Amino acid sequence: MTIAETRGLTKIYGAGETRVVALDHVDLAIEPGEFVAVMGPSGCGKSTLLNLMGGLDTPTEGSVVLDGRDIAAMSDDELTSVRRKRIGFVFQFFNLIPVLTAAENASLPLVLDGVPPKEALGRAEEMLAKVGLTHRSGSRPDQLSGGQQQRVAVARALITDPALVLADEPTGNLDSRSSEEIAGLLRQVSGEWGRAILMVTHDPRIAAHADRIVFMRDGRIVDDTRIANSDSARDAMERAGLL
Amino acid sequence: MSVRHAILGLLAHEPRHGYDLHGAFEALVGGRGVWPVNPAQIYTTLSRLEEAGLVVKSMTRRVGGPDQNVFELTEAGREELDRWYESGAPSMHQRDEVFLKITLAVADDRARPERVISRQRATLYRDLHELTTRRSQLDTEAPLAHKLLLDKAIMHIEADLRWLEMTEARLHEMSRQPVPEREKPRRGRPRVTSIDKRPGEEGGDDT
Ligand SMILES: Nc1ncnc2c1ncn2[C@@H]1O[C@H](COP(=O)(O)OP(=O)(O)O)[C@@H](O)[C@H]1O
Ligand SMILES: [Mg+2]
Repeated sequence: MTIAETRGLTKIYGAGETRVVALDHVDLAIEPGEFVAVMGPSGCGKSTLLNLMGGLDTPTEGSVVLDGRDIAAMSDDELTSVRRKRIGFVFQFFNLIPVLTAAENASLPLVLDGVPPKEALGRAEEMLAKVGLTHRSGSRPDQLSGGQQQRVAVARALITDPALVLADEPTGNLDSRSSEEIAGLLRQVSGEWGRAILMVTHDPRIAAHADRIVFMRDGRIVDDTRIANSDSARDAMERAGLL
Repeated sequence: MSVRHAILGLLAHEPRHGYDLHGAFEALVGGRGVWPVNPAQIYTTLSRLEEAGLVVKSMTRRVGGPDQNVFELTEAGREELDRWYESGAPSMHQRDEVFLKITLAVADDRARPERVISRQRATLYRDLHELTTRRSQLDTEAPLAHKLLLDKAIMHIEADLRWLEMTEARLHEMSRQPVPEREKPRRGRPRVTSIDKRPGEEGGDDT
């Protein structure tokens, strides 16, 4: 069973001289609860892949299937609803609203979905506690560190109980310590809370938290590797030249 | 490898019997999952150290049960340990199996160096996953020593991944060059002049 799947997914930008094949027939299937990292050189199509999977952009060719349904076959209203409830987004620059508190930011997808603000805020407080931010729910983004702001963004992404979280370089703007914390949090989101995650990263140490790594080049997947459940740490130490 | 000197170092803190030493080593590195050494290896090393006069069975101690041989550092053992602290530990990263695989695969029509690189990258990432998992399981109370050892392993893997990426980028360039060969066969073997050989440290490359 897969939660999200791409079939022959292709995206071409521009035409003639400026034609760019950003994605070239990508087939990718993600299982529920799976934590997948996407790696590859700049411009190889990672963000395009995430945007198409999140329904933020439309493919030139091929399809995206979410919860067993082709999103191209959905009406605009349906797509908006799926995007809001079934998919959570986390971005490099947090994309929080500066004038709102952490709890208000995290509650936003619920409010947009028609949940009464008071109830939405209550659920946001709970979600902030889950991501380790209980005491900062009343703070505005500029009163929070980068790592804390990204936690708020993760809480916002999870508030609608989505099946799939799409994270485009979520640690790209964080120091190494906060990066490790956010990667650990995402690991928990998939491992303990059962959400599938597709995360773009350049950092091997962050990618190493995933269960699986997809390597892209020139719009194509060139390698797809399971990295969880490996042999013992001893072998790892040995290969690192420490034994 | 350096288990021999680790034993000397542990005995410098206090005399211990063989079983103690095994546990002390595991505690030092953070458990058998990190760096397992079997008890037999400890006992074998101990008897070698004893033969070399670096440790001595100092007494039999009765702990409400059978007698136990307690080992203690000798003066010569202390000197050997001091020499170890004073000397640099060799880095042996230039003896690299992946290097051999890739360079030989480049010149082998039936092998695929891209695949060798891809397999190796997968192996390194699996190791990195394991190590970062272990590292993130160490809480703030965990001994700093254990964190530092895992950090070292992680940093080495990061370096290996960088090297792999660089090599992959230059694979085409490499495939246009012949495999390095010696120009003229020399007569005889180069003389090995290493003194103070330790296991894994021999100077000769033909082993
Ligand atoms: N809106 C766009 N218009 C034109 N070209 C684009 C657009 N978005 C991305 N591209 C091009 O598509 C390719 C893939 O981009 P992207 O998916 O952002 O790569 P990555 O995230 O891996 O760095 C690049 O060559 C990029 O310049
Ligand atoms: Mg990008």
